[in-house]
Amino acid sequence: MAKKVREVEINSREDTLTLMGPDVRPWPVTPPPSPEEVAAVYARRKAEEFGKWCEDNLRIDYARGKPEALQGVRVLSCGQWRMGHKFAAGLLGELGAEVINVEPPSGDPLRKLTPFGREEYMLEDKNGDKCGLDFIHELRNAYSVTLNLETEKGRELYTKLAQHADILIEEYPPGYMDNLGIGYRQLSQINPRLIYCWVGEHGQWGPMKDKVSKYGQWMLDPFGQAACSFIHNTGFPEDLLPRGKGGDPTRSGVWFADYVAGEQTAVNALAALFWRDEFSGEGQFIETTAAEALMDILDFDITWYGFNKSIKARTGGWDPNLNQYAWNPCKDGYMMIGGQTDRLWYRIGMCIERELPIFGRLIHEDPLLKEMAARNALQALTKTYTMTTMWLRNINRVEAEEKLMQYEIAAGPLLYIDEVAEFPHFKYRPWVNVLEDEQYGTLLYAESTNAYQMRTPARVKWLGRPLGKDNAEVFMKYIGLGQTELRELKEQGVV
Amino acid sequence: MKDQRVTRIEDLPGPKSQGELEEMKMPYEEYCRKVFAPGQEKTKPESLKGIRWLSTTMYIFTPHSVANLAELGAECIKVEMPRMGDPMRHTSPFNECYLYPLHDSRPMTGTGLGFTNANSNEYYISMDYHVPEMKEAFYRLVKLSDGLTECYRPGTFDRWKQSYRYLQELNPRFIYVWGGGFGYGPKVFGGSYDILGQAHAGLASVTGFHEDFGGHCTKHSNWCIDWYSGTQITVAILAALYWRRKTGLGTMIEFSQVQAATRCLGYGVPLYGRFGIVRQRWGNWDTQLCVHGIILCGKSDYPDEPNPQLKYEARYAVVSAFNDPDFKELCAIIGRNDLWDQYKTLQDRVRPQAQIAIYKALEDWAADKTRSQVVKTLTDAGLLAMPVMNDKEVYECEHFRQRGTIRWLDDPVFGDLLIQSGYSCGLMSKTPRRVNWLWRPVGADNVKIYHEMLGYPMSKIEEWYEKNLI
Repeated sequence: MAKKVREVEINSREDTLTLMGPDVRPWPVTPPPSPEEVAAVYARRKAEEFGKWCEDNLRIDYARGKPEALQGVRVLSCGQWRMGHKFAAGLLGELGAEVINVEPPSGDPLRKLTPFGREEYMLEDKNGDKCGLDFIHELRNAYSVTLNLETEKGRELYTKLAQHADILIEEYPPGYMDNLGIGYRQLSQINPRLIYCWVGEHGQWGPMKDKVSKYGQWMLDPFGQAACSFIHNTGFPEDLLPRGKGGDPTRSGVWFADYVAGEQTAVNALAALFWRDEFSGEGQFIETTAAEALMDILDFDITWYGFNKSIKARTGGWDPNLNQYAWNPCKDGYMMIGGQTDRLWYRIGMCIERELPIFGRLIHEDPLLKEMAARNALQALTKTYTMTTMWLRNINRVEAEEKLMQYEIAAGPLLYIDEVAEFPHFKYRPWVNVLEDEQYGTLLYAESTNAYQMRTPARVKWLGRPLGKDNAEVFMKYIGLGQTELRELKEQGVV
Repeated sequence: MKDQRVTRIEDLPGPKSQGELEEMKMPYEEYCRKVFAPGQEKTKPESLKGIRWLSTTMYIFTPHSVANLAELGAECIKVEMPRMGDPMRHTSPFNECYLYPLHDSRPMTGTGLGFTNANSNEYYISMDYHVPEMKEAFYRLVKLSDGLTECYRPGTFDRWKQSYRYLQELNPRFIYVWGGGFGYGPKVFGGSYDILGQAHAGLASVTGFHEDFGGHCTKHSNWCIDWYSGTQITVAILAALYWRRKTGLGTMIEFSQVQAATRCLGYGVPLYGRFGIVRQRWGNWDTQLCVHGIILCGKSDYPDEPNPQLKYEARYAVVSAFNDPDFKELCAIIGRNDLWDQYKTLQDRVRPQAQIAIYKALEDWAADKTRSQVVKTLTDAGLLAMPVMNDKEVYECEHFRQRGTIRWLDDPVFGDLLIQSGYSCGLMSKTPRRVNWLWRPVGADNVKIYHEMLGYPMSKIEEWYEKNLI
């Protein structure tokens, strides 16, 4: 059936934006695989029954009918600019905690950020306020209240809110809250059960603690990434790409260190909650930093320095510990292939050898490549990947994947975000999902990673929040402020 | 019985003793130092005391979910295949670095450094689950534990009658975690690694330099996504424990590592959904802030060092001046007030063409300077800048030393080891994390667990060992 032809005039890229919305081009563009097709996948490995059990018990479609793990936990989240406290509170909020996000009356500056300053990529709420997508995507299931902590009254209200909180996640410069008389020292006197988490880049104490510039600008990620050797270790070496043209130390494309600090904050806070409820009844003070939390997960890098003064160098898409374990260029992008143990390593070779017989001669028959650990030597990596790329360069990602899958090898194409959103497995779960938000309309978002559970799955209820939307409800419920008083406070600039 | 008419000082808010009063008056930094007290971890209680967790895991991703628990004080038991052990034991950077002693699985070498940090504080037993003879021992372990993390391909544990379908019958309080690449769905049997997660999930497509600048999609160094995803499992486990305190019921958690890398894409996903725009790479700069990026300086800080990582690479600095007054000052320092005249708002500065011009001007200014000179000039002026630190500088950094996040450990098996993990996941004032030992050889705790805990006679354990079952 022919589709209706629309009259469209395009003079600039701006005119195309309205043509791309979810109403015009709903996600997914092509339907996900059907349950029957997937059942056939389970059957191929004689796991029909188990596959059905998983689908019946873990599917996200049933999540809304199940209880929430952290129901009854109240989290106060208070910070600006950075992702750490938002991700930590978001993880807890997805699992059912009640999250109240406290912002200054002018709002978290992250609300105003948008890629390349393009306001047309910001979304308007029902009040007509525009908000950036980073903020909308990362503030999850949170109520929004505003408080001016620079005023006496604001601090008083904040203290009263903290009396009701189980967990408080704060992300302000070191000592800022303490100076105002609302840090851990003071709040723990009023609410000894409070679990108080501070999140930052380098720390709130110590010789390299977080700084603000003399004009008050904060340190943001990648200051965390740079302080733990992550950036030094990431990227292509000068031997592979010229310096200044890709052959440089490279930061993560996202504020990755903040995310890592955020999740460790959530872990520490929940462990402290367990200890409080199980043993002591006491809260405590927790400090998580982006630099250290990321350093924790840099494998053995610093340990290696302690072993023989090795300073880890950049190795691009390769890995100095594993062979094969890399993505290499193919005809239409990059193809990732992994398989280290003999069983998998020779299977990769068998697949490539079919079309490139010389691979077998040069790789499989090389005595220096026979032993698994020996294959990690630099010359072994260079040789293996050179030969693998000889095969890859003539084929597309999808062809390579198809061929490697016949040998059951962990391999996959490097995907761009549009391809991610249409990747069959992503659509089927779904890992990117849509939400009809009350304020911002239909949003595509990355689904909660903890949403696939039998009894208490996590869930995303809403994303972002208009500034101060929940002032009236939260202040009434926990402090007892009525309409009139609230209006007065608003005039005084407190909320 | 308390007399309600008497006001006791301990019931009032505020400091209760001279010591507490002094604590309230202390300078803030000193106070933090005192409550976190690095080095005093062992004098404080453990948060997860009494929790016992099984780890039938390999590599980094799923082991890390358990290592987090072990650092927090849970008793964790790592189960490995007899003789073989975790494949991660065979990995070492460029095949250079092994820790000894020898063990029976790898007679020629020790354990590779790749195994570091993923399984701290755990007890190590070996068991071949395939064999029906070992089933009873496994079930005994399950009955005595709070939960398990596994990473086998879906259906494998079910075939061996030890999936959650079976285990919940034995122990209804049991919390069962499967961690892997994909989970139920069309690619259910697909294997996964850290690097596959980075590639598949879109993270690699936004990291690195754009091809117009000569770059490629870039891997996050190390196995970052494995570790990062593992921590999110720990969040789920702790939430499940919280819920179990109320209900007495366990659960099954299915966690996919490929998805976790998509979760941190920020605006990338909604931007595509709403506007059809696919985020691309933007190298060492920031898509939403300017100036907020990494620049190349002309001279090395260590011109005479033989190590190329010092001689050639110690040349990069983070420079951050995105607010108006900061940017204005920066322009004045580099002698390019014209840039300030041209780009007076963040919105102007952050446009791609503006960023290209501004960072070029910065690198031109830094072309005859060392990284330290650049950082010193800017920080002396009150702006934010720092060097991109390498492993040597991180090791020598006084900051991490004072905070106890990098420290030497006298490991019971391996002796002096430098550790960067565990203590760095966050400081806790009352129930801090701790590292007791890094790892032990395969099956080192077989007697402790099979004999002392599960009550099997020593002769049985020897028989199992002879038959290659443990």
